[in-house]
Amino acid sequence: MNTCSRRAFLVGTAAGLSAAAGGGLLALGAATQDKLADMAIARWKGEGTPAGKELAKVATELTEKAIAGLGGLGRFVSKGSVVWVKPNIGWDRTPETAANCNPDVVATVVRLCFDAGAKKVKVGDNPCDIPTQSYAASGIAAAVRPLGAEVVMLDRSRFRETAIRGERVKTIPMYPEILDCDVVINIAVAKHHRLANATLCMKNFMGVMENRRTFHQDIGTCVADLTRFMKPRIAILDAVRVLMANGPKGGNLADVALKTTVAAGVDLVALDALGAEILGRKPTDVPTIVKGQEMGLGTMDYRKLALKEIAVA
Amino acid sequence: MLAARRPVEGDVSPLVGVFFLFDPLILIATWLASHALYAGALWALITILLTVIAGRVFCGWICPLGTLHAAAGRVLRWFWPERVTSQAWSRWQLAKYLLLIGFLVMAVFGTHWVCVFDPLVLLYRTTATALLPAGQWAVETGTTAVFRSDPGLGPIRLTAATEPAYAFLRDRVFVAPKQAFLGGGLIFALFAITLVANRFRPRFWCRYLCPLGALLGLFAWRPWLRRSIRQEDCNACGLCLVPCHGAAATVGPTSDASRRGKPQGWLASECFGCMSCSEACRRDAVGFGWTFAGRGAPAVESIDLSKRAVLGSAVGGLAALGLFHISPQSRGRTYHPQLIRPPGARPEPEFLARCTACGLCMKVCPTGGLHPTLFEAGLEGLWTPHLVPRIGYCDYNCTACGQVCPTEAIVRLDLEQKHKVRIGLAAFDTTRCIPYAYGRDCMVCEEHCPIPDKAIYAVEVEVPDRSGGKKTIKQPHVDPDKCVGCGVCEHVCPYKDRPAIRVASANESRHAENQPILPDDSPY
Repeated sequence: MNTCSRRAFLVGTAAGLSAAAGGGLLALGAATQDKLADMAIARWKGEGTPAGKELAKVATELTEKAIAGLGGLGRFVSKGSVVWVKPNIGWDRTPETAANCNPDVVATVVRLCFDAGAKKVKVGDNPCDIPTQSYAASGIAAAVRPLGAEVVMLDRSRFRETAIRGERVKTIPMYPEILDCDVVINIAVAKHHRLANATLCMKNFMGVMENRRTFHQDIGTCVADLTRFMKPRIAILDAVRVLMANGPKGGNLADVALKTTVAAGVDLVALDALGAEILGRKPTDVPTIVKGQEMGLGTMDYRKLALKEIAVA
Repeated sequence: MLAARRPVEGDVSPLVGVFFLFDPLILIATWLASHALYAGALWALITILLTVIAGRVFCGWICPLGTLHAAAGRVLRWFWPERVTSQAWSRWQLAKYLLLIGFLVMAVFGTHWVCVFDPLVLLYRTTATALLPAGQWAVETGTTAVFRSDPGLGPIRLTAATEPAYAFLRDRVFVAPKQAFLGGGLIFALFAITLVANRFRPRFWCRYLCPLGALLGLFAWRPWLRRSIRQEDCNACGLCLVPCHGAAATVGPTSDASRRGKPQGWLASECFGCMSCSEACRRDAVGFGWTFAGRGAPAVESIDLSKRAVLGSAVGGLAALGLFHISPQSRGRTYHPQLIRPPGARPEPEFLARCTACGLCMKVCPTGGLHPTLFEAGLEGLWTPHLVPRIGYCDYNCTACGQVCPTEAIVRLDLEQKHKVRIGLAAFDTTRCIPYAYGRDCMVCEEHCPIPDKAIYAVEVEVPDRSGGKKTIKQPHVDPDKCVGCGVCEHVCPYKDRPAIRVASANESRHAENQPILPDDSPY
């Protein structure tokens, strides 16, 4: 029988482990060198101001390019998985008022999910206005249904008190159907928000829960708690039409600016920092971004990330 | 009735309240009180014509409340038996005529309170505010309990059946989640009493109280459809008197064999045309037939209202009218802060002269915010609609209440007009409002304010904190020129007991006297 001393065993094991770890690190380094971007920003650089069908085409292309820049949805959506697409459908407002996500952006993401092999794509939010009206007015339900997505109305009586063990929020009613999905794709529309200064990707997660009215008393911490619990792997920031004032509900077309930008990223704090800049604010003005960075959910200095900037014309 | 909900797109179907248009009591009382006709009002002439020709067949064959009362009597006497007795005319049945006369006198002077007791209105209101919410509670609570405990056998889960059924009802039938109405219990209790009364007198409501029945009774003075008895075949057994719904026959001298009496005269005004008497007769002596002679045979007996009784009711109606107007509010000297009428509601006296308190607007209100009043509008305005923002607000993009109002007490508005109608004014209670009282940010009200330019705005202020330091917070304010009083701010306020921003009826468009705020575009 081949025996070895304890010392020899320990030394051998340690050497083996470090070799494995080193190899792993090398492999990781190689993966990073494979240039998987952390964030991709697609900006329209074409002539004139697209509107109507033209704008729909632009929004679709921006979304496709941003996601492609991030390495495609296949990076996040595995074959046969169930995906929850979580757009902002907060209000009974039409797409022109930019109070909800752009329906073409949402529809493109849904299509790319199916292209990546998703078995099922569910689309839903917990609107502030009457849900049926908001889903219809936003144009999102009509845009994603033909693609085969399931449009889900969140039922108030089907939320389940869930421990999220945050700094401020300990338990909150969450929608189980969302948590049960394999991946949640957060699509936020960049908007002005009187209290939080901006509502972006992190704050978009307020649509998977209930009892949210007290969140405003410490919006930064509450939203950061929620984001940490959701462990997002990808988010998309829709800044095609941007509500610059009187948010988050808006209603005045004069408050809407055409920014024709879509960003996709794995770091929600970074995406939100970009959104804050689009809204003409500093990221430090937005409590959710500040708190998100403080909690280690990401960095507001998005330019330091592996960033891809794509011009679409 | 279940279709009375706001579709995602387009208007509520005009058919949801069509039965009210065929109601001659609503037509006559509303016309007397408001001197106006609402669209479709004249359909009720069909009912009048039907009654003139065929008597009160409406009561016997059409009225859903009558059907319900008949069924209730049958069921009650099955559980709680009573010896079968003859149902013969009693002078107490005149009560409904006297009540109606009093009510119509009131209507002439602008109060059509009688419609509150119209049978169609009564049934609709009770169903909408009490029965359907009870059913909805059962469905919601039951399926939620099943959902939470998820019982089943291996892969067969009970939720596989309950969840789709619940989703169907939620999406296609229920108007708003957890819809329930203030005072629904009282509405149901009074209704239940009239149902139980059927145990003691079949069709109690229809015989003694129903104002529509009385009105139709007056029109059924000399109908062409009449009961007749072949005297040579009648053995005076009195069997025909037992199943009589309306107690329409007078009784003659009793025959030896029967204690039930012998049918004698026939009061067309009391007969529902149900023909139970003809069905009951074993010798085929009782039948119905057409006759076109006003005074010809078979004879019609008059209900014989005495002049003194009629005069008495008229005086009684006037007295009641006086009593309705002994409150300061009824004289327009005060305005009840909680009497927030739906958008498009006419000025109060005109509104009350049209609103039947049927509950259709409350039923369709997509936020479940419209509720029957109890005392807010005085006794005259009992069960008329008012908005209770704490329970549900007036949705900015909705005009459903005006679409369904059968008597146009709520004027139909398009969205552009509706956006300009003020139904009240919001005000902060700074002793509770979180940024004022506790120095923390909140602004949920501002977030939800639907006015594009925001009727609630924020002002940044420095407030001292507990340790003597300072912090900057945003305090909300109401812009009275922009606020329409929709109440969403009150609805979403984190306080669920007494919200820190509340809407009162002040500034409502329909009353110039109730507008304390000098408008921006003041005419002065």
